[in-house]
Amino acid sequence: MIPLQSATPLPSAIAELLGLDPSNPAVLFVLAFVAAGAIVSVMLGMTAVLGIWGKRKITAAFTDRIAVNRHGPFGLLIIPADAVRLLSKELIVPEGVDRPAWDLAPLVVASSALLGFAVIPFGNGVQIADPEIGLAYVLATASIASLGLLMAGYASNNKYSFLGGLRAVAQNLAYEIPLVLTAASVVIFAGSLQLSTIVASQSETLVSLGGVAIPSWYAFVNPFAFVLFMAANLAEVGRNPFDIPEAPTEIVAGYQTEYSSVYFVLIYLGEFIHIFLGGAIVATIFLGGGAGPVLPGIVWFFIKMTAVYLFTQWARSAVPRLRIDQLIEIGWKGMLVLSFANLVLTAVIVGVIQ
Amino acid sequence: MSLEDPDTGAIEPAEETAVGVTDEGLDYDALADLLGDRLLDREEHVNAEGFVVRPDEVRSVLFDLRDEAGFDHLSCVTAQEYDDRYESLYHLKKYGAPTQELSVVVPTAKDEPVSESANPVYRTADWHEREAYDLVGVEYEDHPDLRRILLPETWQGHPLGQDFDGEEPQIVTLREHANPLQEDHRGDDADTMFVNIGPHHPATHGVLHLKTVLDGEQVADVDPDIGYLHRCEEQMCQQSTYRHQIMPYPDRWDYISAGILNEWAYARAAEDLAGIDVPEYAQIIRTMSAELCRIAAHLLAMGTFALDVYGDFTAIFMYAVQDRERVQKILEDLTGQRLMFNYLRLGGVAWDIPEPREEFFEKTRDLLDDMPERLAEYHDLVTSNEIFQLRCVDTGVLPPEEAKSFGATGPVARGSGIDYDLRRDDPYGHYDQLDWDVITEEGCDNYARVLVRLREVEQSARIIEQCVDLLEDWPEDEREIQANVPRTLRPDPDTEVYRAVEAAKGELGIYMRSDGTDQPARFKIRSPCFSNLQTLPVMSEGEYIPDMIASLGSLDIVLGEVDR
Amino acid sequence: MIGILKSMATTMKHALDGKTFTVEYPEDEPEVSPRFRGVHKFSQERCIWCRQCENVCPNNTIQIVTDEQRNGEQYNLHIGQCIYCRLCEEVCPVDAIILTQNFEWTADTKDEFALDMEQLKNVPWYKDIDPLESREPDRGVWIGEGEGEVDYQ
Repeated sequence: MIPLQSATPLPSAIAELLGLDPSNPAVLFVLAFVAAGAIVSVMLGMTAVLGIWGKRKITAAFTDRIAVNRHGPFGLLIIPADAVRLLSKELIVPEGVDRPAWDLAPLVVASSALLGFAVIPFGNGVQIADPEIGLAYVLATASIASLGLLMAGYASNNKYSFLGGLRAVAQNLAYEIPLVLTAASVVIFAGSLQLSTIVASQSETLVSLGGVAIPSWYAFVNPFAFVLFMAANLAEVGRNPFDIPEAPTEIVAGYQTEYSSVYFVLIYLGEFIHIFLGGAIVATIFLGGGAGPVLPGIVWFFIKMTAVYLFTQWARSAVPRLRIDQLIEIGWKGMLVLSFANLVLTAVIVGVIQ
Repeated sequence: MSLEDPDTGAIEPAEETAVGVTDEGLDYDALADLLGDRLLDREEHVNAEGFVVRPDEVRSVLFDLRDEAGFDHLSCVTAQEYDDRYESLYHLKKYGAPTQELSVVVPTAKDEPVSESANPVYRTADWHEREAYDLVGVEYEDHPDLRRILLPETWQGHPLGQDFDGEEPQIVTLREHANPLQEDHRGDDADTMFVNIGPHHPATHGVLHLKTVLDGEQVADVDPDIGYLHRCEEQMCQQSTYRHQIMPYPDRWDYISAGILNEWAYARAAEDLAGIDVPEYAQIIRTMSAELCRIAAHLLAMGTFALDVYGDFTAIFMYAVQDRERVQKILEDLTGQRLMFNYLRLGGVAWDIPEPREEFFEKTRDLLDDMPERLAEYHDLVTSNEIFQLRCVDTGVLPPEEAKSFGATGPVARGSGIDYDLRRDDPYGHYDQLDWDVITEEGCDNYARVLVRLREVEQSARIIEQCVDLLEDWPEDEREIQANVPRTLRPDPDTEVYRAVEAAKGELGIYMRSDGTDQPARFKIRSPCFSNLQTLPVMSEGEYIPDMIASLGSLDIVLGEVDR
Repeated sequence: MIGILKSMATTMKHALDGKTFTVEYPEDEPEVSPRFRGVHKFSQERCIWCRQCENVCPNNTIQIVTDEQRNGEQYNLHIGQCIYCRLCEEVCPVDAIILTQNFEWTADTKDEFALDMEQLKNVPWYKDIDPLESREPDRGVWIGEGEGEVDYQ
């Protein structure tokens, strides 16, 4: 059986593949960039396919339409066409924007999400780094995005952006804590923050039903935590019913109202990569990482990530947006309490079992 | 919004004690006694009498009529200029009995057209009088906020006045034009924020501009600024002939598939004015097609409301549009157009049911048969969704007293528990011989208004079903779709009529005055959206921005009708 | 929660049933009703230059020029200005003007929408539907039957 996780991180693996000495820091340094570049390219590719083409097709399926089908087979050539369209638009810098912050915000939004992928085990040993504090790192980098959103909202010199930025921060604050607490309950099960260990601890069989072995994925072990995490994750990435920071019908486009051209692309990209990162975290800590029958682990991992993305699109089709005060109320009075309860219960159960 | 705090105290319906109500209807003599010396003259209008009063006694007369005689609905204010005077007409009705109508005529001198404002009595007079001031030039004393409403602040002259020269260029330079974006709350001590919502905003359903003052996320003050879509519909109708040319225009007021309902408003008023009888068969076709329009309009209203609450281009909107599309196909078969029907004619309709008739009826029946299933799906999707309920229940509350004072009608009034539907209360067409119910909801909130619309679709389907049955069995040689109407219609001079129908958004009234030519001397549109939109501040002040957007969506305004 | 799940189930049902209602327009020409009102067609041979259509038109779309003997010289129609109310067809006593089902009309400039007699004559039928077939039964209500054979070309 192919080991789901290798002990060697991706740069070292590449070094071994190329016959270089993995213990040489200079080689590792260079190869780390290569590995990171590869992962980033894959993520950008995913955004291009799912963000530009897939999103239209999925939305169209929910709304009984066909969507793009004029550009190449299944309309796939819309991807380069759209990329050219978006990049060739004029970059409008509104009067009175707070320049460095306004320019940096898209970069922060896009890069913070990408940073998280550094520790994600994609299966088949594809993982750039595997630090012991992997989970803490990925949650921490993911939440840097709120800073970017606040910068974007505050620096845009636009009242709608301002409202959007503040909403984004309020929302992320309220949902970050349940997110981390729920993830902590997984850590109690696995006994480690290291993502490869968390994945490995999910490989045992939980129960065997009629010959079908149900693995001990934490989604099955603790479905309550899984639901909580999915909800908090939706809020974290700002999708329906929690797309309040953008809320097109209320505050136009929230923090991204004033962005156009490349900056808009970066923010758009950042949003999608954020969703994928959320999906990757869910897949890693709740859905057994790259575990799955027949197909190689990395394929399963991407399937799981895409499934989470599909879920966000599904929710978008049918779930109304909450109001900001209701959202905060649910976050602090509902989710937080539930996630604490979940954490305590998990701790007690795990303590009793062991 | 208003500077004074107008007296909005409970308007007593006082049905039993109301002056002038007899078993036969309205006893105008008793009303005249109520007014006593204040009554200068009595005019005979087509549906109601006009009581002429002095411009400085408007308020006391209206107070008495409201409190003593039970006229709790100021339907419309029409201003017009004669050769020797200006005139303001207050069309009064009762929510309990809309057939009991009375017009209060207030003549003012040509050189000093000032009359008392009715704003303290009926808050709806606020906007109506502003419009009268804007277009005709009558000034209203003690009006809290007498500004132009449809035209820009810097407009020169009053376009419906007699001395207005449309050819003359507006001499105001660009610099002098008020910049709606300039106003900003940047005072040192201000902890509120001024935001322009619209005219280009995803949720304003057109070119509506809401001057909003926010206190954090909450709306401290909202002032709708309208007129961006003013297309001089009244002037255009005044320059068109009764017989043919006016009919295409109503389609363009409420252009959200409610065309035939609007056409009916004009047809009804003009038929009353000229004394035209409509054949029974044509009335049934009218009823059927009007209700088809209502279904289409309500579905779209529901869909766009979902758009406001759900966020992006959601599935619900597309499903609603799909169903509306089926209705439009049927209407296209019947009328030849999908939105701008131009189907009604004075004295009938333009076409009979298309041949082969069976096919048309079958198509309509298919639609009606699917309707319960489709509505169940909407209830699954929308009204039973907990988050939707969280968002809509008890938000955008419009108490019935406020609704009445603002002259709200249609689903907005019925969602506030006001049992008012002209189809039943002031019957026209074939409605009084059909079996259907008026829907009211007591919730007074956004949820109630959506629910009313969805349930009204059911009732419309019932009406259509009965009409289809009647039409199918109608003997072939009695299918008279058009009464004999002269090619050129010249109603008797100085006949005045105010007539309303229940359009998709509420009471759509037309006031017309003839001057002996084939064109109306004054054509006034009482648009339901215009009055309904006035209630927005009541519903949204103190609420959150999303609720204001939802309230705006639940009002279901069409800017084409607000601005005309 | 049940309500939300019901909503989500409903949209998923729509997503999975594979039905779409998009009309792939240029390839798939939509069916229009026989009564549909599109671009006008005019027959100089039938026209008696009575100017009724010009008079009835609500927004002066039609312009007719005649000589002193009231013989028609020009018949211009600005279809960019037209509101497609069909009143011109309705008042025409000889069926000289008719609204075809043709809704496909494009031009680069506004001026190209002003059609003269010759252009109006050459307006193509949409899918070869002669709209008069569907209208004939009703025309009698409005006007006397036009005499003679109807031939627009």
